[in-house]
Parts: sequence; structure tokens; C-alpha cells
Amino acid sequence: MSREFRPAIGTPASPDFGERSGEKVDLHIGQWKDGRWSYLFGDDTEYRTPPTQVPDIEAIREAAREAREGELPDVVQGPVINAPVWTWEVPLYFWFGGIAAGSSFVALACDLAGDEDSARVARNVALAALMPSPPLLILDLGRPERFYNMLRIFKPRSPMSLGAWALSAFGGLAAAAVGADLLGRRREAKLLGGANAIVGGYLGSYTGVLLASTAVPVWGRSRLFLGPIFVSTAAATGAAATRLALVATGLPVGHPTRRALGTVETAAMSAELILSVINERRLGPLASGLEHGRPGKLFKAAKWAVRAGLGLRFARKRGGPGVHHVASLLYLAAGLMFRYAWVGAGRVSARDDRAVAEMHRAETHGT
Amino acid sequence: MTEIAIERDDAQRMGFFTDTTVCIGCKACEVACKQWNDLPSDGGTFRKGGSYDSTGRLSGNTWRHVRFVELADAGGGVQPDEMPDLVATAAGNGSTIDVEAAVAAFDNWVFMSDVCKHCTNAGCLDACPTGALIRTEFETVVLQPDVCNGCGYCVPACPFGVVDRAPEDGRAGKCTLCYDRLEDGLEPACAKACPTDSIQFGPYDELVDVAERRVAALHARGVEGAYLYGAADAPEQQLAGGLGAFFLLTEKPERYGLPAQAESPIQENVVPATLAAMGAGLLAAAGVAAAFLWEKSR
Repeated sequence: MSREFRPAIGTPASPDFGERSGEKVDLHIGQWKDGRWSYLFGDDTEYRTPPTQVPDIEAIREAAREAREGELPDVVQGPVINAPVWTWEVPLYFWFGGIAAGSSFVALACDLAGDEDSARVARNVALAALMPSPPLLILDLGRPERFYNMLRIFKPRSPMSLGAWALSAFGGLAAAAVGADLLGRRREAKLLGGANAIVGGYLGSYTGVLLASTAVPVWGRSRLFLGPIFVSTAAATGAAATRLALVATGLPVGHPTRRALGTVETAAMSAELILSVINERRLGPLASGLEHGRPGKLFKAAKWAVRAGLGLRFARKRGGPGVHHVASLLYLAAGLMFRYAWVGAGRVSARDDRAVAEMHRAETHGT
Repeated sequence: MTEIAIERDDAQRMGFFTDTTVCIGCKACEVACKQWNDLPSDGGTFRKGGSYDSTGRLSGNTWRHVRFVELADAGGGVQPDEMPDLVATAAGNGSTIDVEAAVAAFDNWVFMSDVCKHCTNAGCLDACPTGALIRTEFETVVLQPDVCNGCGYCVPACPFGVVDRAPEDGRAGKCTLCYDRLEDGLEPACAKACPTDSIQFGPYDELVDVAERRVAALHARGVEGAYLYGAADAPEQQLAGGLGAFFLLTEKPERYGLPAQAESPIQENVVPATLAAMGAGLLAAAGVAAAFLWEKSR
């Protein structure tokens, strides 16, 4: 008798391919008989206690508790988790997406304050900042040609799924708002811009939620701070970019919108700096990713850029308006460095086996 | 919150019970897995002064990994100078191995065949934005390679460091518990190949029963450090809601690169993180509007 090698599914390229043929193949055994204990583990061996005895479940649980609670052993033989695979495209997207979201806030605020011309510029900035985002995200995929699978399902529990939908909605609304501006339909542009600011609220913050919802210590343990930090960066960089765009289009010194944008960028960047410093102190050894290597250097540089910007902001009276433009540029640069530092810190943190193990030990202590 | 799942009435939860006390570190499971699933090599190397473990870790192309836990100086780990230089020995120059000492040192080795845990609360499955990762009728977690676009979110979402993106393929990869073999009533390739039945495959409930009886037998024989990792825990102690592939260990979990506690990071963090982010977003929006209105009224 010759051996049979037919697969259990239909012949490739035939109409029934991919369907169960209904026939059993030679190897088919219906039940997992051979998986159901080899002779080694039969009742006549001493492998386990016989079925007639009832094992003491409390003693078994106690043994597990003893091994999993208490102090970390001297040696952690890693790796415990795999490091994130995201490359330079992702933090750059975070930066552009943040600017787009921040500009949509500014557009809404300009409309509320009655400055329709500035609102139009802000909507243009939002669209311009959004444009590089989809290509960057697609570039980062392992299979870029399958990018459309991001919109295959709507999955509320996955921040990345919601983010992909938010990005699509934001892109559509931003383009429609700019289109309405071009057609001179102010009312529609205002409405679309307002709707976009709501989507922008998610677009500017979900990236923080996305990073926080991982097993990487420096991200996961910053879960209450990452969203607020990323929103602050979005508001600050969005305001700074819009401010520079407005200056370029000839908004005069002392215009209320220009002053308001100066206040917003400075306040948001201060909030980001304060939150970052508090979070870093709070994390202790788990913040290793933000302190060592290239991400650590970037994080430090970003904090100094913010401080320099704040200094220039208050020195402005002597230096004239040019100094304030430098401050806006410094905030934009700081935002970009913060983004790179946060994403890079995840890689360093995931490779810090002790930090990863320590994080989970702390959980068993209930802290 | 519901998962994307395949339902079938006559299917039950299947799993692995990996008993490290009978593992001999032969790596037959790794080879069987690579062969059946047609996976390329990750390019293992022996490192002087490092570990004998030439695989290193689970990855997109390595779905079973026999971890070598070297206890050379009991509890302190292996010191680099305690390892014979295998490369030099093979090349016939320099150090030779003291066979007697090496055989005696086998007592100080523990092997553990690591694999995807097929968690009840699976972080990768929660993270996947495309729906490539699904729950099968055997309550295992399977990645559909024809859907995955390689976004990489499942990689840091796994608290066990299992799933990874294969660099030359671009898609994520991990153990499927041989879903294709299960559908035809065959046990997974690694369990089939395991010569000591350290890897046992079967219906989850039966496996847990056998595992509990094995721990009881070991305790009775004086191996008091034996415990189950991922099964039979009290509800508040469960790892990621209970592991479909669980282990019998004798050292602390971190010696095997396993976390002492684990949960799907999505289920753990997404709600508090979103609330904090939305609160901050509302504050920021109110702050921006307030700054504009204040400047206007000045």
C-alpha cells in the first residue's frame, strides 16, 4: 500500500480550495490520542500521583506564590520581553500628528475669538502637518502594501485601530475644511474645523495611550502621564507652528491672536516639562530608558531646549519679536526631541531585563 | 469587550504543559517546529563566555526556544570564565573540556522549552489593529499571515516577549499551537517530537489535572521548589487570566526570563491612560480657548 500524502483541504487552484474536503486524511485520528499521555506517563509509572489520590491544591498554589512573590532573584536571565520594532518614522509621525492636532485646537479657538483669517491659516497648517503622517506610518509597516488592512476592522480596544480611524477622519475633515475655505464658505469651514478639533483631541493624545498600553516598563508605568504629556506637546508644537505661519503671513506684533499663541505655546511647553520631570522622578529605576543612551541624551536636550525657550520668552522685551520666533522654533525642536526620546526610551527599557522583571515583582507586592 | 474568535461547538480548549524537570535540552522541539512551519534560521551562534543557549530568544522565526538556565554557581549565575571555550575546543587549539566535570555540572543545568503562552487575556490579540490575530475554536491565539501588515504593535504588547516581527518577512510571527495540525486531529509538531514528553499536549482541563498531580508527586519526593507557572492559580494570582501553555518550574520565574506577574497591557492600561489623556485634552482645549478669549478682551 502506498502512503497517502493528500492534504486535508482541497486541491490548490480548484474551486473547492480552502474548504474542508470532508474526507479524513490517513493521519487523521479524530481525537488527540497520542497527545493523551504516552506510555511514560501511564498510571504504572511514578510520574504523577495516581488518580485515586486528590492532590492538595492549596499546597500547589502556595508553591507558586512562594516562587512568584518576594524579592527578585540575583540573576534575571533575559530577554523577558521583545523590544519594540518601530523605527524613525513613528516618532516623526507623532510630531507631525501632534502639530496637526494642536493647530486644529488653535483654529477652533481663533474662530471662537472671532479671528477668521487666523483660523483659516491654522486650518491650513493642520492639513499641511497631517499630509506627511500617512506616508510615514505606511513606511514603518513591515508590509507597507497592506496598509489598508488598518481600516479592515474597527476595534475600540486597540489604540492603534482607533488611531488609524481618527487619522483618516482628521485627514478628511481637514481637507474638507480647507476646501470650504478655498470656496469661500466660511460657515461650513468653521463647522468642519470645529469637528476636526474634537477628532484632533483624540489624534493628539492617543499616541500616548498607545505607548502606555504595552509591557514596556517606561511606557506602561507612565500610563497616567503619557497622554497628558503628549497632549501638551501637541498643543505647544501646534501653537508654535501656527504662530510662525501667521507671522509669515504678516500678522502684526501685538495682535491678540499672536499674543494668545505665545501664551499657549509657553504654557503648554511648561506643562510638558513639569509633567516629564515629575514622571521621571516617580518612575525611579524604571525610568532607565529616559536616562541612558541616545534617548537619554535627547530627553535631556529636549528639556534644555524648553528651558531655553522659556528664558527667551521672558527676555523678549529687550530682544524684540525676533527672539520670540527663536523660542517658537526651540519649542518645535524640543517637541521633536521629546517624541524621539520617548519612542527610543521604549527600546532601551524593554532591553533592561532587570527593570522589566522588577516591574512585575512590584505588582505581586501590590504596589 | 469581545474578541475576534472562531466558534465551534465540538471544540475544546487545547494547550501545552511543559514539564521542565524532564527536559533534556535536546532541541528536537525547536527543529520540529522549524520544519513543520517552514521557518528560517535566526543564525544561532555559540558565544565564548556566554551561554550554551545558541538560540537566545523567541522571535518571529523561532516559535519554540529551549532556554538553558545555567546555575553554575548556585543562584549567582554563570561567570564567563567558568564556561569552556567551545569554539577553541572545536578548532582543536587551546582549551580542552574536562569531561568528568562537565558531566557533574549537568546537575546545575535546567532546560525549559519556551513557547507562546496562548493567554486567556492576550495582549497581542488586544493590540492587533488589523484583526490578523484571532482566537481559534481551541482557544489558542493564532496570527493570520495573510492579514498581518507588520505594524509591530503586538511586539511590545506581549508581556512574555513571544511575538516578534520577522525582519526579512515584515510580518509578525508566533506559535500557532500547530493550528493546521489540530484541525486534522494531529498533535503539534513539538509535542510529537519531544522524546521525554516534557512537552505534553492535550485538552486544557486534563493537562491541568496531570500537572497538579505531577507537582504533588514531586513535592512528595522532596522537590519542594516545584510549582506551576500559569495554571491552577487562585483567580487573583492568575497570569494573564491563565495560560493555555503553562509550565512546571523549579527556580524563580525570572531565571527563565518569565515575569512574576503578567496581564494584557491593553486591558490593564488602556482605560486609565485614555481617561488621563482625555482629561488633559479637555483641559488643553479649555486653556487654549481661555487664552484667546482673554487676549481678545484685553
